Amino acid sequence: MSDKKYCISYEDVQKAVERIKPEAHVTQVMTSKTMNGFAGRELFFKCELFQKVGAFKFRGAYNAICSLLEKTEDKSNLKVVTQSSGNFGQGLSLAAKLKGVPTFVVMQNTAPQIKIDSVKGYGATVVLSQPGEKNWIDMRNKVAKEEGAVFLSSSQNPDVIAGQGTMAIEFLEQVPYLDAIVASICGGGMIAGICIAAKHIKPNIKIYAAEPLNADDCAKSFAAGKRIPLPHGPPNTIADGLVASVGENTWPIIKDHLTDVITVTEDEIMKATKLIWERVKLCIEPSAGVAVAAVLSDKFKALPKDMKKVGIILSGGNVDLSKLSTWF
Amino acid sequence: MSDNKKYCISYEDVEKAVERIKPAAHITQVMTSKTMDSFAGRQLFFKCELFQKIGAFKFRGAYNVIRKLVDNAEDKCKVKVVTHSSGNFGQAVALSSQLLGIQAFVVMQSISPQIKVDAVRGYGATVVFCERGEKARQEMADKVAEEEGAIFLSSAQHPDVIAGQGTMAVELLQQVPDLDAIVASVSGGGMVAGICIAAKHIKPSIKIYAGEPINADDCAKSFAAGKRIPLPGPPNTIADGNVASVGYNTWPIIKDYLEDVVTVSEEEIIQATRLMWERVKICIEPSAGTAVAAVLSDKFKAIPKDVKKVGVILSGGNLDIPKIAALF
Repeated sequence: MSDKKYCISYEDVQKAVERIKPEAHVTQVMTSKTMNGFAGRELFFKCELFQKVGAFKFRGAYNAICSLLEKTEDKSNLKVVTQSSGNFGQGLSLAAKLKGVPTFVVMQNTAPQIKIDSVKGYGATVVLSQPGEKNWIDMRNKVAKEEGAVFLSSSQNPDVIAGQGTMAIEFLEQVPYLDAIVASICGGGMIAGICIAAKHIKPNIKIYAAEPLNADDCAKSFAAGKRIPLPHGPPNTIADGLVASVGENTWPIIKDHLTDVITVTEDEIMKATKLIWERVKLCIEPSAGVAVAAVLSDKFKALPKDMKKVGIILSGGNVDLSKLSTWF
Repeated sequence: MSDNKKYCISYEDVEKAVERIKPAAHITQVMTSKTMDSFAGRQLFFKCELFQKIGAFKFRGAYNVIRKLVDNAEDKCKVKVVTHSSGNFGQAVALSSQLLGIQAFVVMQSISPQIKVDAVRGYGATVVFCERGEKARQEMADKVAEEEGAIFLSSAQHPDVIAGQGTMAVELLQQVPDLDAIVASVSGGGMVAGICIAAKHIKPSIKIYAGEPINADDCAKSFAAGKRIPLPGPPNTIADGNVASVGYNTWPIIKDYLEDVVTVSEEEIIQATRLMWERVKICIEPSAGTAVAAVLSDKFKAIPKDVKKVGVILSGGNLDIPKIAALF
């Protein structure tokens, strides 16, 4: 099986498994009879909300830092920079701190203080930019140049993608007979990593991407057979982790390996998130709720019944609880 | 081992309960959190009873008492049970009865939230409404008991219920044998009494602490006075599972075995509950937050540092999301 056309191969994911072993958690899988009843299938929840920094992004971040250090001769002068308002910023901060690498995280000055504080809390230097994609990228480039910092993309960097793929290797060790895996999609790093890993281990497994209807670039791209990024301006969705578009490195993998995209409404996302809080008692963030909503959707329910065992990635659990009263 | 005749149960009763509930109850996991350890200044081990059947530890006691009734009955089909509870015990009795194939009646106040009524009905029990107040609830339960020939089950004073709750301590000490202390919230005292009998038998030097809302501090007052002093009326606390008073069967055990009572304010309960959602990512109910608040309190922090490893019972995770949202 030729992986040359993709930015990573299964071997890259295997290497990532070894690299992240000393630090990343092997997250548990949970089940719920109640949720099975609602879905009409056997569900297996991969609890990445229990990962370090409360989200799967730590895997990719740590793998990327380790890989970068391996390639760097002058390790003591290595610095990294990324742009992220969320979990990747935290993941990279912690990963870099563990390896003694100074980190800069460029965040928009409209980012919630709680997120800025979280990133700082993990030891990174936060640099604020004006709002808007262009300002964000410009500031990141400025920091990279002035500080001599290496830019790590939160979803397009191959080592990040390979790192995310490690969750699929774990998952299939924990539940070897999964018929499908469902995960939410943003830049596509998680989905692409899962595709490369899972399809290698079990070629007939189906991979579904779950996406907010309000940020449906992947659905549109998949239907058209070509990458169609979101138009400018952040999409309006409660799933604040899912606001970027599928990128240049992840798209080829997704195009070839994904089974389908399931889009869900804001209402469905909130209902699914609330269900997991209430019935499974796990404090997932809405971006993770998207994957649950997808499995509970009419479109998914209509899929053939021979798809019995479905893995769902609960990607993270970083919720601003003070927002709850505005949601419910 | 000491003479247990003065208590309503013995360790052997708990051992029998372990066997009885085995086919039905979950062995709940223990979780740890470096973040919570740093807040507490000790190593905390969270016994996750929120993942128990019906989302609370009460299932253990309910299943034990009902299974024993069914096993000892000449005609199992004729066994009927009744309890009064709008909360976790009502659901526990309902599900246990459904699993064992007997009829259950749950007396609930007419003001009970629809979601709780639906939950109990969902498990197949018959809901019987009564007027507000302790007296009205008991009178209705007695009426149902007489008219239906149903056996009344007290949520905290029935010996088989207490023995059932004690099974969680047997498990916890198998999972973490070198615990120095266990902290659990107290209401009628069924859980704390069961834990006392079990844990003190296995490890006599272990210290058992009860966490209690200061707004419902009958246990604290009783413990200080050396005699049982029930609450004067229904207390006003967010910890809706901690509203009963320690009873006539649980008091003697608590009086002799408990190390101390740690009372906590409403604010502390809410803070602790929120911390568990935010940092540990699990959706505990405020009554479980009481135990966490106790461990984070100044009083507990002042306890000698040789109490290093502390088990904390997360008693349940059944709550109304909009209500909790308003608190956060």
